Amino acid sequence: MMNVKVGQEIPELVKHPTTRQLVQYAGAQGDFYEIHYDQAYAKSVGLPGVILHGLLKAAFLGQLVTDWLGDRGTLKTFEVSYRGIDQPDHPYRCRGRVTKVDGEEVELEVWGEDEGGKRTTVGMATVRLGG
Amino acid sequence: MTTTAWVIDKVKSRIGVDGPEVTAPVEAGHLKRFAEAIGDPNPRWTKEAPPTFLVALAAASLHLNDAEEFGHSWLNGGNRFEYFEPVLIGDRVTAKGRVVDVYDKAGSSGSLLFIVFETDYVNQRGERVARLRGTMIRR
Repeated sequence: MMNVKVGQEIPELVKHPTTRQLVQYAGAQGDFYEIHYDQAYAKSVGLPGVILHGLLKAAFLGQLVTDWLGDRGTLKTFEVSYRGIDQPDHPYRCRGRVTKVDGEEVELEVWGEDEGGKRTTVGMATVRLGG
Repeated sequence: MTTTAWVIDKVKSRIGVDGPEVTAPVEAGHLKRFAEAIGDPNPRWTKEAPPTFLVALAAASLHLNDAEEFGHSWLNGGNRFEYFEPVLIGDRVTAKGRVVDVYDKAGSSGSLLFIVFETDYVNQRGERVARLRGTMIRR
């Protein structure tokens, strides 16, 4: 079994989303809500400009967890709560930390930070190590 | 902009009512486009769906046109995935969604309407592969 300890930070993942990526994601997910690619529309509903899809940020955090886990186990639950908006052309830093180890069950706290270190997405993942 | 109680009541009347079932195949090309869009080069995603792919296969939220009479825009509040079986290329997955809760709250910039939904994803063998719970917010 791999050496997993409570408090351990997992390797971070820094993403560099662009408006182009938001359009690509809109197409791949089939979510064409205009706040993710139409600047004028986004501003008309009170946003500073186009913003990242919450589920794109979730996908980034999913990658953080699956990169760390590799083939050493299975993802059982994954949850995210969106606390703030994020705009393209700003780095998005994904981080995580082991919060609980119970036999083969491991719980992780995960979060995404904006440039200022503000946690705009917070979440949790549970994995089962081994088969 | 309408924030009257009757809109909330109309949306609340949907609690517990199943939305339409959607069945879709897990296609190699779609999976590739999705992995490219999220920027995840893990070779594992050439065979298997990454953690959030199911939302691309079938809508994560139910199309609640009634709710759009409340406020002016949507926000995603959060998502919770529970995984039971892997989702692989070639699978046919059926999504069955329902609204499980609706409530309104006063926010700092006006009132908000919260819609909590749950979607079960079942594969071609009838195995439940995942459950998604999410909160969509109208403001």
